[in-house]
Amino acid sequence: MILWIILGILLLIVVVFALYYNRFTILENRIDNSLSQIDVQLKKRADLVPNLMETVKGYAKHEKSIMADVTSARKAMLGAKDLPARVKAGDALQNALKSIFAIAENYPQLRANENFLHLQQELSAIEEKVAYSRQYYNDSILSYNNSVETFPGVFFAKLYSKQEKTMLKIAPAERELPKVSF
Amino acid sequence: MVERLNFEDQISSNKIKSVFLMGFILLVFVLLGYLISIFTDPSLFFIIMIFSIIISLVYILAGYYYSAQLALASVRAKPASQKEHRMLLHTVENMALASGLPTPKVYVMQSEQINAFASGRDPQHAVICVTTDALDKLNKQELEGVIAHEMAHIANYDIRFMTLTTILVGMVSIAAELFLRSLWFSGNDREGGKGNVILLVIGLALAILAPIAVQLVQLAISRKREFTADATGAKFTRYPQGLANALKKIRDDHDAITSKDQHHYAKALAPLFIGNPYKKISGLFSSHPDVNERIKILESM
Repeated sequence: MILWIILGILLLIVVVFALYYNRFTILENRIDNSLSQIDVQLKKRADLVPNLMETVKGYAKHEKSIMADVTSARKAMLGAKDLPARVKAGDALQNALKSIFAIAENYPQLRANENFLHLQQELSAIEEKVAYSRQYYNDSILSYNNSVETFPGVFFAKLYSKQEKTMLKIAPAERELPKVSF
Repeated sequence: MVERLNFEDQISSNKIKSVFLMGFILLVFVLLGYLISIFTDPSLFFIIMIFSIIISLVYILAGYYYSAQLALASVRAKPASQKEHRMLLHTVENMALASGLPTPKVYVMQSEQINAFASGRDPQHAVICVTTDALDKLNKQELEGVIAHEMAHIANYDIRFMTLTTILVGMVSIAAELFLRSLWFSGNDREGGKGNVILLVIGLALAILAPIAVQLVQLAISRKREFTADATGAKFTRYPQGLANALKKIRDDHDAITSKDQHHYAKALAPLFIGNPYKKISGLFSSHPDVNERIKILESM
């Protein structure tokens, strides 16, 4: 009788250990998955840039410094090793692109170019997508951290040597409507 | 703001409820088959039983796998096109990213009401359908709020239970009607004894009560779900005001609509929509909570 009780308790312990192990794994996978979502968007952005540069070159030849900024930001992003660096470079690229769109105001012909307008729309859509996938990344980190830091998860986290992860910093939400000028 | 919405609990509760619902429907069918066999020809008992089990299984499985298509077909929804509905598709993609779910298929239905619904058996087979008027009248943030609300329904498997109930309720009422008809015919050329009269009463009660019971279950649950989906949706957009504004527009819009526009929707589909297409029904039978209350909660987040 006592043997059965001990066996039962042991079984329960094994199950609890397995459950927590799975929980951490699921949450970590979710983080990895959300990471790759950000990467997909950053890559899409990088892919559109050369195309945009070609279009801009045709109309605004002497804006060399801004175009150099964009090109180098793109290079930095593609060369970045880890995600925080890539995201940071992605932000720099986004800012450089913003100044491209700002100078476009001075070139009515460029603004009227269909290809340019299309790229501008695409890039602003990508900007939103980057923001949302980052938000999901942070949400995933939050639920992971919650399970690692709260009792009784904290006990199992120590056991499996799971550590708290840091979130990506997000600039104060820009909630304005994206400006698409025609 | 609801701090921790326990998704896993909600998901498993929705899955369990779906299984119970399917079991319940099977039971109703078997019972109906039994009653029919007793009223018509008891010697055909086994054949009728086998038939009713096969028919109910086919119906339940068809309901499970094709519920979304049935719902879409009944409102004559068309797939959204990249050209015409660019903003809608973008918004859905954004909300899918924010919720970490696969991007659902997007449909547009012709309607003079601002409305939307989500359907499907799980997030991998989900669809979102938006009315043409919603696209015309809602701005970007409002549309985003509405889509986020629908994504929340998808995320916690509300869509499975809701759509199943909707489709299966329709089925039960059809089955009940058939049963009543068979009673009429058997009653005409047969003299029933006392036992038959009792069965007749039970049968009648069942035929009338079964759909009402399912409907009540659905309605009661739908109201709680809307609040949860509002809160989860606000978590996806980080901007509860967007959905609050959309709900205000839906409220004012629906108040202005005459009853002749209402037959665009099959009545059974009503609980699927974000805004109640039938404003006249309220209280216990209402499929949606008070819009003003929802707006109040969203604005206090």
